[in-house]
Amino acid sequence: MKLEVKDIYKSFSDNEILHGISLSVESGKALGLLGRNGAGKTTTIRILMNLFDADSGEILINGQNFRALDHQIGYLPEERGLYPKKKVIEQLIYLGQLRGLSKKEAKENSLHWLKRLGVEEYKDKKLETLSKGNQQKVQLAQTFLCNPDIIILDEPFSGLDPLNSQILKDIIRELIRENKLLIFSSHQMGYVEEFCEEIAIINFGEIVLDGNLKEIKSIFGQNRLTLSIVNLAPEHLQIIFKEQLNHIAIVESIRKNDVIIELLPTKTKNDLLSAILSMDLDIDKFTVYEPTLEDIFVKKVGENN
Amino acid sequence: MKNFLTVLKFELMHFLKNKGFLISTIIICILIAIGLSIPSIRGVFTSSNEDSLDNADKELISYGYINSNNTLHNTEFLESNFPLGNLKKYSSKEDLEKGIMSGDLEAGFILESPSQYEYIVQNNELIDMNQSIFHESFSKAVQIQGFEELGIEYEDISQLLSPIIQYETIILGTDSAGNYLYTYILVFILYFMIIMYGQLIATSVASEKSNRAMEVLITSTDSTNLIFGKVLGGAIAGIIQVGLVLLTAKIFYTLNANAWDNMLDFIFEIPIDVILLFSVFGILGYLFYSFIFGALGALVSRTEDVSTSSTPVTITFVVVFIIAMSGMYNTEGLIMTITSYLPISSFLSMFVRVSMGTVSTIEVLISLAILIISTVITGVIASKIYRMGTLMYGNPVKIKTAIKLLRRQK
Repeated sequence: MKLEVKDIYKSFSDNEILHGISLSVESGKALGLLGRNGAGKTTTIRILMNLFDADSGEILINGQNFRALDHQIGYLPEERGLYPKKKVIEQLIYLGQLRGLSKKEAKENSLHWLKRLGVEEYKDKKLETLSKGNQQKVQLAQTFLCNPDIIILDEPFSGLDPLNSQILKDIIRELIRENKLLIFSSHQMGYVEEFCEEIAIINFGEIVLDGNLKEIKSIFGQNRLTLSIVNLAPEHLQIIFKEQLNHIAIVESIRKNDVIIELLPTKTKNDLLSAILSMDLDIDKFTVYEPTLEDIFVKKVGENN
Repeated sequence: MKNFLTVLKFELMHFLKNKGFLISTIIICILIAIGLSIPSIRGVFTSSNEDSLDNADKELISYGYINSNNTLHNTEFLESNFPLGNLKKYSSKEDLEKGIMSGDLEAGFILESPSQYEYIVQNNELIDMNQSIFHESFSKAVQIQGFEELGIEYEDISQLLSPIIQYETIILGTDSAGNYLYTYILVFILYFMIIMYGQLIATSVASEKSNRAMEVLITSTDSTNLIFGKVLGGAIAGIIQVGLVLLTAKIFYTLNANAWDNMLDFIFEIPIDVILLFSVFGILGYLFYSFIFGALGALVSRTEDVSTSSTPVTITFVVVFIIAMSGMYNTEGLIMTITSYLPISSFLSMFVRVSMGTVSTIEVLISLAILIISTVITGVIASKIYRMGTLMYGNPVKIKTAIKLLRRQK
């Protein structure tokens, strides 16, 4: 299954929020939708879920027009909420039935997910009597209830403690293994890096970077090296580069004890290595630089700002 | 359709399981049962007291009077025709006052002349019938004495003054006077149902929004299912509630009909065509307003805003109600004719006109058709507003603005 978003535009009261968003994701893969607060992630997701209509552009599933209500979608909205005064199991069964399950199936699935998320004991309690974290788990149970093929999670980790985050991580990994199509938005890069093969960074309603995460990382790592010298502070190393090695490379940034170096276009790693060796510096670390998603995000979003 | 039924069942159970709903229904039913059983209960007590009637005679409240200046030549009539209790003759004012102060006498009267008397009482209470009732008995006694002095038999004169005339009413159209009470009751029931359930539906929609449950709901099923299920669920709950109340009333009246001396038959024997018309127009009117209240609920973000936001609709509805109520005195007025076609008012005005006046079937059918079409259109617009309102948080949006936004979306 392949879900494609093509050139979506959306305005609210003459203020254009999305300026031509395009994405695509396939079954068995997870797409990480990244962006700062207010970048347009939730609006994109809400258009996908048909909560808003886009002003222009199209959404396709396997090349056909996509209408959210025609598919089993596990959707976790950014604004969490269910019926506070109703029993947990009662509302889960109701939502399951609304999405086409029989009452029996809805009950079985609800109990399965409540158990899986460790909140089975609260099934007959009113939702409002549960702690915030447990309410969040009920909300997750609601999302996975119908064995959906498409799963859209808007900031799924917000509000979860590390242990609960771990439970959710395991579930997400399992869903990817089960060949589900997963889209999830976050501004917590660590989580996205853990699961997502594909990413899309949205900034001010535009996709500023998208594609395979590994490829993106290798492109961003190109011509960059990580270097540290025994008994030499990175700040000193930076000065040395500025004064003596500026014909080979420049220091891009300092990361703890390391400096990240960018080679000048015509220079190679070997050029730099020989120059350092000739200066009689005791090399501690000399590796090809692999950027974190956060580095890429800060760089891309920073550039745009 | 399956989803609509799921929503309907969920919403109906929400009402039926609600403690407030259950308690209020039970209390109303109990009150009606007690109210209608009062004559029987009283009957039980009075019949068990029959044996002690002789004693009761002694316990009757006593009053005293002084016939000074021999104002009445014959005091027998006054004594035997004083309905409040025993009227005893006293000779001195002191004795009379002593009797009153000791509590043996309820009050006392001193007859000065046929045109004057004194009323003596210990404490003058706010509501005191003694004097006015004595006044009547005394003046009748004076009249009889006057006629006797003229040598005329009082019996003859009284027949001349108040002749017994019998009459019969033959009604060719509708008996408005007879229908007045049940029409009044039915219109009132409908008024309360719409105001009460309308607010409940608006609050229920607004709370789904403030709980943020709406986003999950609206991505689970079509918004039309949600709002139609909710409104119809409320309607069925209302019908069940009113049905139970009316059933209780009917059962307890039937049980106690003898004690009531069939006095209330005219309320309980509502013609079946009036009941049918009330049901059809009532349910449609109820749905029409419920959809509007539902849409209003979707346009606010907090349940506290519901009452402010629904004020214009409530006021319109109250005006409609007042027009229908005052129309009961004149069913053929121009305002009643106009309002019996407008969907915002026809369910009350047309019902009143049919129930209390004469309306041709075609007029009823036209009004019904307008109401059905308007209700369906209102329902569809309400479901669109409901859907659009899902993600509108912040200040309440006016219905006018919402309709404008809907148009722009198209």
